Amino acid sequence: MSTVTLYSVSYDIASLILHILGFIIPPANAALTNGNVVTGLAVLVFGVILLAASMLNTILLIWWERKLLGRIMDRRGAMHVGYAGLLQNFADGFKLFRKTTVQPREADALGFFSGPTAYLVTSFLLFGILPISSGWNSGILPLSLLLALAIFSFAPLFIFVSAWSSNNKYSLMGGMRSAAQMIAYEVPLLLAVVAVVIVAGSFDLTTIVYEQQNYWFWGPLFVALIVFVAGMLAEMERIPFDLPEAEAELVEGWNTEYGGMLFAFFMLADYLRALVGSILVVLLFLGGWTMPSWVPGALTTFPLAGIFWFMAKTYIVFGVFVWVRASLPRVRTDQLLRVGWNRLLPLSLLAVFLAATLVTVKCVWPFGCLPSMGT
Amino acid sequence: MATPDSAEEKPRENPVLWVARPMATAARQFAKSLFRPSTIIYPYERLEDPKFRDRVEVASGKPFGVGRVWDNYRGVHSLNIATCISCNLCAFSCPDICIDMVTVAGGDPKHPKKCPQIDYGKCSYCGFCSDACPEGCLTMTTRYELSTPKRSEMIYSPEKLNAVFHSKLPMNPIRLARPDNEDSILLDPPLCIGCNACARDCPTGCITMLDIPKPEAKPGEKLPRRIWKEPVVNDSDCVRCGTCISVCPKECLFWGTRK
Ligand code: SF4
Ligand code: SF4
Ligand code: SF4
Repeated sequence: MSTVTLYSVSYDIASLILHILGFIIPPANAALTNGNVVTGLAVLVFGVILLAASMLNTILLIWWERKLLGRIMDRRGAMHVGYAGLLQNFADGFKLFRKTTVQPREADALGFFSGPTAYLVTSFLLFGILPISSGWNSGILPLSLLLALAIFSFAPLFIFVSAWSSNNKYSLMGGMRSAAQMIAYEVPLLLAVVAVVIVAGSFDLTTIVYEQQNYWFWGPLFVALIVFVAGMLAEMERIPFDLPEAEAELVEGWNTEYGGMLFAFFMLADYLRALVGSILVVLLFLGGWTMPSWVPGALTTFPLAGIFWFMAKTYIVFGVFVWVRASLPRVRTDQLLRVGWNRLLPLSLLAVFLAATLVTVKCVWPFGCLPSMGT
Repeated sequence: MATPDSAEEKPRENPVLWVARPMATAARQFAKSLFRPSTIIYPYERLEDPKFRDRVEVASGKPFGVGRVWDNYRGVHSLNIATCISCNLCAFSCPDICIDMVTVAGGDPKHPKKCPQIDYGKCSYCGFCSDACPEGCLTMTTRYELSTPKRSEMIYSPEKLNAVFHSKLPMNPIRLARPDNEDSILLDPPLCIGCNACARDCPTGCITMLDIPKPEAKPGEKLPRRIWKEPVVNDSDCVRCGTCISVCPKECLFWGTRK
């Protein structure tokens, strides 16, 4: 199973397509089955599979949120289109894509259109570099965690560009809040990540997952998990940190002027980022696609078991985000900053300290020892 | 603006509880509604279904079957054409002007029988019409599902309303019991011109035009140009519809207590 990877599957599909094409058009056979052409098409197929998977997961995530939120609010959520409303979001998406894109008269067209597009594209990129299982990854990226976080923090720029070029004061306020909030929460978020990196000894997400084979990091690094989740909530602009949207004060925040397809872009990108946030929590703290050794082998060795368990964990983590959203009210700006600087920052420093201690003592009582430290 | 700093000096709640308590509440609600949220999935189930009996009792504060919540519901009207006296009171009292009096079979050629036709596209289900109906033949039922794909189908002819009556839906009992109007139709004799309009339009035919003596004209005085008749109302037959008052061209009829 370890030999079958996403790339090998794409390579097989690409060469199959090219061989069939070559069979249909015999003169072009030699040119089509050239190794470079096959590799090129394989990369394309790889991208298309990633795109399809991320779209599908995003839309499922919206469904999952609507259902969970409904249950917490004692109602049912979407339920008519498809089984239990599974196809409702596809219908909503098609509706949005069919709508006219209205551009405000004074808006700056370049920023207005490129902002949402870049926001969406970087979010797709983000999904592409995260490993989902031992087979589903984009190769060995020694600094994949840094790359992911770097792309993650592109967002305030694009949000601010689209808010600025909308030429609307509410959009601008939302954009400024968004930028301020994301930059403020980047610090504790990165410190929490540093705690994980200290313990795992690597920036490679795959290595981080394999370092959790004895115990998942959420137990000993619980403080870092709390800080990371809070920071992620702020980065994803979800309630209780959704000040940049703040329907009650800012109409719709930085996407006030957007409708139709561009709004769909924002929506998709928001949920993609939520998906990526949940995936990061699973990768860093919940052992990725691995399962503890006490789980019966039959449950962890069936085909695609890694992807299955990974996605199950991701949806549960996102469920916790939804739970938080259903429970807590939106904070004020001063509260937001106070929570960020007064509480999360000391906590994240504490987390780094705990991580350093953990690496020094190597073994902690209920959890066990780290595997092969310092190789 | 109040000084936020002084307010913040004494935090009223523990920040852990500030987060933990609402989250516990949400979790409790989630556990309660995981298998059965309180939504009634309307087109598939209805509040009237027996399985919602308990919930209806709680909502109405009464035991099921005594004062069911839909007992005084104002839904589609039912019209008993046989007892309608074509008094026009329903159309007269409708605030949305959605009642038209249309001719139905059963009248004589001289006095065609007219019954209400209701446009449910405009009706606000206020119930004024059935309140006004002196015969209790226009009442409101508990049927509330009226949606149709065509606007023209929102207009219910008297025959269609009569069919509702014959489908024996539960009727609104409040609309059936009506207080009696003790007032009578009185006449201001000097104004009357004896035109017969009230007697012609009275749905119960309880107005008779009786001859009155033509007075002697005094020298220099001009007698009014009129027919020397006056309406006399038979109070026991009158249904207090007020049609005579509204048709009188001289406004000489009015409500009052007969001495
Ligand atoms: S219920 Fe009210 S609005 Fe409807 S027809 Fe009767 S009087 Fe008119
Ligand atoms: S008020 Fe009653 S009796 Fe009079 S016309 Fe209307 S339905 Fe007939
Ligand atoms: S109110 Fe006038 S028109 Fe109506 S029944 Fe009585 S006398 Fe006839």
